Amino acid sequence: MASPAAVRELQRDLENKANDLSKIQKDIAKNHQVRKKYTIQLGENELVLKELELLKEDANVYKLIGPVLVKQDLAEANANVRKRIEYISAELKRLDATVQDLEEKQNSKREAVLKVQQRMQALQAGKAKA
Amino acid sequence: MASSKGPASPAVRVAEMEKMSVEQLKAVKEQTDLEVNLLQDSLNNIRTATTRLDLASAALHDLSLRPQGKKMLVPLTASLYVPGTLDDSEKVLVDIGTGYFVEKTMVEGKDYCERKIHLLKSNYDQLLELASKKKTVADEAGAVLQAKLKQLAPQT
Repeated sequence: MASPAAVRELQRDLENKANDLSKIQKDIAKNHQVRKKYTIQLGENELVLKELELLKEDANVYKLIGPVLVKQDLAEANANVRKRIEYISAELKRLDATVQDLEEKQNSKREAVLKVQQRMQALQAGKAKA
Repeated sequence: MASSKGPASPAVRVAEMEKMSVEQLKAVKEQTDLEVNLLQDSLNNIRTATTRLDLASAALHDLSLRPQGKKMLVPLTASLYVPGTLDDSEKVLVDIGTGYFVEKTMVEGKDYCERKIHLLKSNYDQLLELASKKKTVADEAGAVLQAKLKQLAPQT
């Protein structure tokens, strides 16, 4: 009935599922880190946009490109910052969708692991009785 | 944030904590302690940034008092200075973030510093409130945990 081979197989299954679960959790943690970075960048860019909007049309704007300060057109600077904000917002939305998907996978993996554990316990109990 | 003890009043919170096992309570306390530490770190960061802005504002003010043509030493690196003369202290270059610099007048520059300092101060106050609320929850969890452990101890 409860042959050692069946127990071994269940154990292997449990290990596999546990590994999958831990990989999903690592992915979720990485997602959070990336999302944190993007959120900070978004905040900074919005601050810059606000400052640029306060400027008069003829104000001088410079951008630091490497070690060089390059004079930029106010309109161009505005457009660049706005584009960056759009890009970051889109990335954040994408990350949101990914993390939701990952969390669903995590939950279903957890349930699967639990089921395997329960089957193993039932098997062990069956073996003990016999 | 993961856990937020929002609208629950302290009595409700303690009652819920009493229902939890020692293990769960330990987990809650650890989680809240972690959050409190994170908030404290953020508070420190804001304090540092505010100090730097204060220094910048003071430096600006000092600069505005200097006459044009005043001899000065210009830092080229952290240990190399060269003699120079002050050109026009009416225009200043302000770093507004993400690599952008804006030319402003002395008055606008001072105003920029003031605005940033105000923003930081209001952020600091909000964070402080949040941090003290979390600390209260952490303390409550600690107290209930202590009580439970004392309850279990005399039985042995």
